Amino acid sequence: MTTSETAARSRARTLLTRLEGPQTMGRGPAFWTVAALAVAAAAAYPLIADAWTVGNAAYFLIWTFMAMGLGVVWGYAGALSFGQTAFFGLAGYAYGVITLNLGAAYGLTLLALVLAVAIGGLFALIIGYFMFYGRIQGVFIGIVTLSVTLVLETFMAQTAGPQWRIGEARLNGFNGMSGMPPLTLPWFGGDIVLYPGPPLYYLLLGLVVICYLGLRIMLNSPFGNVLVAIRENPHRVGMLGYDVRLYQMLAFGIGGAFAALSGALYTAWGQYITPSSMGLTSAALPIVWVAVGGRRDITATLIGTLVVLAGFQTLTIYGSQYALVVMGVLLLVTVLAAPDGLVVATMTQMGRIFRSSKR
Amino acid sequence: MSEILRVQGLRKAFGGVVVANGIDFSLSAGAMHCLIGPNGAGKSSFFRLLLGEHAPDAGTITFDGSDITGLRSFQRIRRGISVKFQVPGIFKALSVRQNLEVAFQDHLHGQSLGATIREMLDFTDLRAEEMTPAGILSHGQQQWLEIAMAVGVEPKLLLLDEPTAGMSPDETRKTGEMLHDLNGRGITILAVEHDMAFVEQIARRVTVLHFGSIFAEGTIAEIIDHPGVQEIYLGTADV
Amino acid sequence: MALFQSVFAMLYQFGDTFAFLVISCAGLAVIFGMMGVINLAHGEFIMCGAYVTVSAARAGLPLPLAILTGALVAGAVGMVVERLVIRHLYQRPLDSIIATWGISLIATQGVLIVLGSTMQGVGTPLGSIDVGGRSYSLYRLILMACALGLLGGLYLLFYHSRFGVIARATIQKPQMAHALGVNTGRMYGLTFGLGAALAGLAGGLYAPTMTMVPTMGATFIVESFVTVVVGGADIFLGAAPAAAILALIKAGLTAWYGQLFGQIGLLVTVILVIRILPGGLSGWLKGTTR
Repeated sequence: MTTSETAARSRARTLLTRLEGPQTMGRGPAFWTVAALAVAAAAAYPLIADAWTVGNAAYFLIWTFMAMGLGVVWGYAGALSFGQTAFFGLAGYAYGVITLNLGAAYGLTLLALVLAVAIGGLFALIIGYFMFYGRIQGVFIGIVTLSVTLVLETFMAQTAGPQWRIGEARLNGFNGMSGMPPLTLPWFGGDIVLYPGPPLYYLLLGLVVICYLGLRIMLNSPFGNVLVAIRENPHRVGMLGYDVRLYQMLAFGIGGAFAALSGALYTAWGQYITPSSMGLTSAALPIVWVAVGGRRDITATLIGTLVVLAGFQTLTIYGSQYALVVMGVLLLVTVLAAPDGLVVATMTQMGRIFRSSKR
Repeated sequence: MSEILRVQGLRKAFGGVVVANGIDFSLSAGAMHCLIGPNGAGKSSFFRLLLGEHAPDAGTITFDGSDITGLRSFQRIRRGISVKFQVPGIFKALSVRQNLEVAFQDHLHGQSLGATIREMLDFTDLRAEEMTPAGILSHGQQQWLEIAMAVGVEPKLLLLDEPTAGMSPDETRKTGEMLHDLNGRGITILAVEHDMAFVEQIARRVTVLHFGSIFAEGTIAEIIDHPGVQEIYLGTADV
Repeated sequence: MALFQSVFAMLYQFGDTFAFLVISCAGLAVIFGMMGVINLAHGEFIMCGAYVTVSAARAGLPLPLAILTGALVAGAVGMVVERLVIRHLYQRPLDSIIATWGISLIATQGVLIVLGSTMQGVGTPLGSIDVGGRSYSLYRLILMACALGLLGGLYLLFYHSRFGVIARATIQKPQMAHALGVNTGRMYGLTFGLGAALAGLAGGLYAPTMTMVPTMGATFIVESFVTVVVGGADIFLGAAPAAAILALIKAGLTAWYGQLFGQIGLLVTVILVIRILPGGLSGWLKGTTR
């Protein structure tokens, strides 16, 4: 083997070690091959499906960021936040306000996207500071975060009059804001406008892959080690010299930034955002995806979210009330029988079958 | 010998219960010192005051020349105080290796982190259990793991609250050897203990605490012969 | 005369909100305040009580009996839920949130499927009285009296009855109670059932003033939680004065800025109270934290 080959091999191995670790399920060539095949299949999907279906699939991908963010905050740092939708909605409105005022030319929608995520993440850091440096723990984190999102929903709901505007953008109360431009990429022959369809789908797929891999690296890093230690025994972590409040706040900020990403993308996808996206029912949905999928593992959260969303949409064909009943049953079953998540339980079972069949 | 810890006039009461009644205490760097006393004397409370878990009603704590009375717990740890609690404070769902990583990763990285973790695994005899969840270890093994973790923050002073509680005589002896080893590396040891054989194995000087005050201080031999000490343990004294 | 009218109007508004908060939070105060279980299905026990009450009333039962029936049925359902679900989750508070939210979903959507999106209700009885040109519902005045009666009754129950003493002991120190021969499982079931019955009572009492929709629980849940959290663990030292203070805040904000700002005021209050008074009002008054 030449030195450059050895160097390349060891670089690949270093990258793999940073992607793998005790905090994340799935390791080794078999796992990554399957993962690569899944991404390839997802990339090939628009070739066999019509544009509307692909736009619908893009809709699913949008929610995965919020789910992964909640997975970090709840599953890894141990704080059940009921208010991720606050950052979702805030970022959605921010995207709307910025793009309605500045327009879509020169790639400004991308700037709006980045700014919306930054605003959401910053707000999350502030709320996180208020909670964790104020010694708020356990169920009270859930109550405070739920209250925050409900305050935002109620406030936005009463912004109906014409005096409620930021520049050109009217906030519009209950009806919400609409008409903002979708994501628009500047291009030589003319801007590419990403309406729901294959181009947006590819952009989102790429983002999901990048975020997933990035989170895996973060969770398997020393920072991730401290997060899971905090989940296990926060007192001890403090007694090892770490400022636990800082780590919790940072984890919460990351979760908020991911929720904000979902929010801004959602607004760009559908060209509308309403206060109900921050309401009681919306706030509980991410909890469902993450609880059913599995909160302790980022891969399970990602897969679980997609499975639950797809299932929910299928059931809604029969009537949304049946879908919600199934959702409620899923929650009960998960909590009572598989508290680590149904996807995790399935993956563990499959792992056991795989291992025992090798003998 | 320089002084690593000085406590002056430390007072703390919870409602009507006085746990620290004007404690004056001094510890030299490099010492191996034990804190003994009957139940309820305030030994664990004294540790919690040193660590910053409770704020004292009065008094100061000076560590390594600086006043740490107003600092939060994690700040005191960063200055070089480390603790091993009575109930093993390890991360039960994480592997032994991960427990050590969390303890050491703030000070070491990469190669030296790996090397130190290997060394610690040998030090605690846990090489074979590197990847097992710490909750599965035996009680004695969990205590040793926690001692190793307490060393990870590169302490100058190591506080141990009943480190041999629940251990067999063999495990107790090994723990004493570990503490001597750490002391040889320059770490000052202050331990709360009930097991007199262990105290004899590790301590050069002993302090007796009673009702939140220092009752007596001296070498082991002096304390054992002290008539008052026998009485407060047996409950015949009018103190 | 005009002064009397406006004072009466304000007092009425205050009393109305106070009654609403006390009656709707009583069940949750027992379940969350005493047992530490977050019951997101609280609104659905209220809905259960309301639906049963209305059905019983329309079947011919006099309204007070119908309301009692509603409360009892809700209590029975509560005991079943406790036995099947809650009992496994006492050590897992975060999971009890999710489980009760699942129950809430099943209940609301199930009722929607089986009974439709709305059910015929009963009208508000007793008409209205006229004070200075404005008419006030007599029934809602009665509800204010009910709220005070409820507080009195609960006080007698928890502090002067055998059940109450045993319940409080079991919840504070279950192992001790068990060692003294108390059937702790049954106590938990009865206490949770009591909380559910109180929720059903709230539903029954307010049913004549509301439209019967499966999601009617949502009207109560935010206010109930805010009152219980602000109040702290003790119903009398906590939830009652909390209801008074919150009624003031809500009435004031609603009068000056409108309904939605009244709601925002309640939510901001709960956030601030969690931050500044972790044990709620009763914790602060007793000098303890939760």
